[in-house]
Amino acid sequence: MNFKKLLLLALTAGLFFTSCSDDDDAIINLPLGDYENGVLILNQGNFGGGNSSISYLSDDFGVFQNNAFAVVNPTVTLGDTGQDIGFYQDKAFVVLNLSNSIQVINRYTLEHITTFSTGLNNPRYIAFANGKGYVTNWGDGGNEEDDYIAVLNLTNYTISTTIPVTEGPERIIEKNGNLYVAHQGGFGYGETVSVISSASNTVTAAIPVGDVPNSLFIENNTLYVLAGGKPSWTNDETIGTLTKINLTNNTVISTFDFEDAEHPSNLVEESGQLYYTIDSAVYKASLTATSLPSTPLFSTTAQGVYGVYSFAVENNKIYVGDAVDYNSNGKVYVYSLTGDLLQQETVGVIPAGFYFND
Amino acid sequence: MTMTWKFLFCGVALLLFQLVLGQNDSMVQLNEVVVSDAKLQKFSNAQQIRVLNDSVLQKNRGSFTNLLLFNSPIYFKENGAGMVSSPSFRGTTAQQTAVIWNGININSQLNGQTDFNTINAADFNSIGIRSGGGSVLYGSGAVGGSIHLTNLLAFNAKTKHQLRANYGSFNSLGLNYGLEGGSEKWAYQASSSRNSSDNDYEYIGRKQKNENGNFYNQSLNFSSGYKINENNFLKFYSHWFDSERYFSGTITVLSKNKYQDFNSRNMLEWVNFNNRLTTKVKLAYLTESYRYFENKDADFYTFGKVKTFLGRYETSYKITEKKEILAVFEVSRNDGEGSDILPKKRTIGSGSIIWKHQLTDKFDYELGVRNEISDRYESPLLFSAGTRLNVTDFYTIKLNASKNYRIPTYNDLYWQGSGNPDLKPEHAIQAEIGQEFNYQNTKLSFIGFYSKLRDMLRWIPNSSGLWQPQNTDKVTIYGLEAVLENKLNFGNHHFALNASYAYTISKRDDLEKQLIYVPIHKANGSVSYSYQKLTAYFQTLLNGEVFTSSDNFYRLDSYNYSNIGADYDFGKTTTYRLGFQVLNLENTNYQNVASRPMPGRHFQVYLTLNL
Repeated sequence: MNFKKLLLLALTAGLFFTSCSDDDDAIINLPLGDYENGVLILNQGNFGGGNSSISYLSDDFGVFQNNAFAVVNPTVTLGDTGQDIGFYQDKAFVVLNLSNSIQVINRYTLEHITTFSTGLNNPRYIAFANGKGYVTNWGDGGNEEDDYIAVLNLTNYTISTTIPVTEGPERIIEKNGNLYVAHQGGFGYGETVSVISSASNTVTAAIPVGDVPNSLFIENNTLYVLAGGKPSWTNDETIGTLTKINLTNNTVISTFDFEDAEHPSNLVEESGQLYYTIDSAVYKASLTATSLPSTPLFSTTAQGVYGVYSFAVENNKIYVGDAVDYNSNGKVYVYSLTGDLLQQETVGVIPAGFYFND
Repeated sequence: MTMTWKFLFCGVALLLFQLVLGQNDSMVQLNEVVVSDAKLQKFSNAQQIRVLNDSVLQKNRGSFTNLLLFNSPIYFKENGAGMVSSPSFRGTTAQQTAVIWNGININSQLNGQTDFNTINAADFNSIGIRSGGGSVLYGSGAVGGSIHLTNLLAFNAKTKHQLRANYGSFNSLGLNYGLEGGSEKWAYQASSSRNSSDNDYEYIGRKQKNENGNFYNQSLNFSSGYKINENNFLKFYSHWFDSERYFSGTITVLSKNKYQDFNSRNMLEWVNFNNRLTTKVKLAYLTESYRYFENKDADFYTFGKVKTFLGRYETSYKITEKKEILAVFEVSRNDGEGSDILPKKRTIGSGSIIWKHQLTDKFDYELGVRNEISDRYESPLLFSAGTRLNVTDFYTIKLNASKNYRIPTYNDLYWQGSGNPDLKPEHAIQAEIGQEFNYQNTKLSFIGFYSKLRDMLRWIPNSSGLWQPQNTDKVTIYGLEAVLENKLNFGNHHFALNASYAYTISKRDDLEKQLIYVPIHKANGSVSYSYQKLTAYFQTLLNGEVFTSSDNFYRLDSYNYSNIGADYDFGKTTTYRLGFQVLNLENTNYQNVASRPMPGRHFQVYLTLNL
């Protein structure tokens, strides 16, 4: 994703990042009051446009609402470039990258609780361990030395400490009091997963993985890391890899190589199966498979999806977010596990993630 | 190797042209004022040209964007007050408006456009707005139209000093000192400007200020002419511009960016009048550079810079009183580098020939053709054809059609990881019909225009998320401009009225939706009244709604705001003018770019001293 490197072009020429705020056409509904038993869809909005939004789709598809946060909180603007949502107890933490802030809201009513920004610089993803929040931060994009994990006090919403890490910390997950941070690389190209102990708030290990690790999960004490490989335009293209790591001793169990020029992303797990995407195609394999599938489970090209932007598998359904042209409203498609289209909705600009609120 | 041959061919053609045309003898009348860009008037009969005079320039100080907003149909997208300002002229993109400095194109080689907040209007004594295609004469980017910044030099002029100052809300300060004079042999002009502002206005209705929006810019300008003899003139132009802007944040983003520009332009020109033949040779050296600080408090920055050498040869020959031919040959070499672009050189050579013929007292026409060769891309053959018909003494019809283009920029071609070296120029075929009614002191014109843009560049992501420019879009534009200029005098009471309205449809053919940030309606008007030494004026602007997403789902509301002001001339022989203005009189809460509120009501005092 070279999107962020083009920020300067946006500022000086306004070439392609466009934005919107005064949305006269938005259908303003009454608050639903209960956003449980469904998925919150975080729409990133336009970079610089201040129009991040949350859409809600109930599990049974019976209820769908765009701009849910704005409907509940008409006087609060969610922010700019929504990156991630983390759930902790009855709260949801919405990480806003360009706003350098986190909105704390009630996860079931979406009522705004507080906003904080001090101590965040280019925040990306959030996880929770030991009663604390852990937020990956790139620092200044052009600076390789200032990346860190911000440790968030969940009582008074302040950053209690920071943990310096190598460049480009992106996705972060928790297991048994440890945090696993994929160094996708920020403006560069990472190749490690950092292990952080929430007891000491220090980096205890750096596990080598493939180039540009973009997604990860843990199952049966095994960490699965999908690395996309360096893209061709770097003039140093590398292959994508899937790495399995034993969390008892943080050693690599096995590595699966993708074909040349394949750059997979969006690794998730559901019911003993792993799923990922390559461009517009969805792939599936057993956690215990000894090789990668050669053919996709299905393709989303019938829906006109041009590169799956966001992805999730939950309750035997596959959720695909399509950023369309990155300035128009995005689309969300829900498929059965065999690829039959069950539901589609038009959501906000650039659907960036699915957060199941069950 | 074929490139070399093509350049050689250009050179030979040029020599032949001079041999053939250099043989006629008869006197050509010389004016006291040597107009730098004579072809702007001479070879643009079939198009709309408006030259902004000094009284207009005095009323919109500091911001070139505001000057044009209130005095032309051009729409501007300003990324926050004082920040990067991109024009859309007749529904086109920012790269499709050419800015011409003393006859040469100065659009950025890096991003293809001119940021109108990096130009101080006070540095030029003539500003012209030429609507419609002009690539045959002015090259890349003259698609929607062109803006002409000119330093006119006068020989035998008295020495004049002028000091202009303005100060207003948000600690905004503008200073300009100008000097001009001349003798029989010499003409010179020099000016220096500085503008600065804290730019920390309140966002109306929010407990927020425009933070990190402060800026300054300063420029130095020097032009001089030397008369070698009755037939030969040497001219030198020099312009230096330097600015530092903190890029302001938005409603939801606290910015910490900083951006610096530094541009220099130097040009030496030799003009030779040899009876019916006029020859001009221009040699120019232009530099542009920027530094972008993502974090203003850190030392780290990214940069880009381009040096351009340009040689231009123009020769015009009056075959008879009614027939004239102009040939222009130009070679430019760009040398660009930057932290995000690959270091590249490129060479572009072009030749244009324009024919003008006054068939009868009432009817003339012009034909032009341009071919360009470059070592980086293939350029289309361009043409222009226009005619002017004076039907009666108060009614004129102007018709023209042309093919115009804009070349891909350094950023488009060479941005690391994203640039696409296989890009072709964008090109457009366009036509317009203008009708002008002149009655006493009233001029009313209606212009209908139509254009088809092809191979339009757009940055789009591919399936693996890589953003790259592609020659992808087809756009159809049509619209109407209406312009009214009127002067009324009742004894000592003088009224001047200017109004324009533009209706613009600019649609991508595949979507059938209006392009983003192109208003369908834009209107502006101004009325001024003067009585003896007092002048009062009112300007108003109506900006129609714009779409901010290509599906036209998101939009920004239309807005209207006005400026009102008055000034008074003190002193008997020399003039001391003192004035006061209220800007955004209605305190309109508007956004020109989404999430970036613009200033509410604010004030300015200004002073002009002529010595």
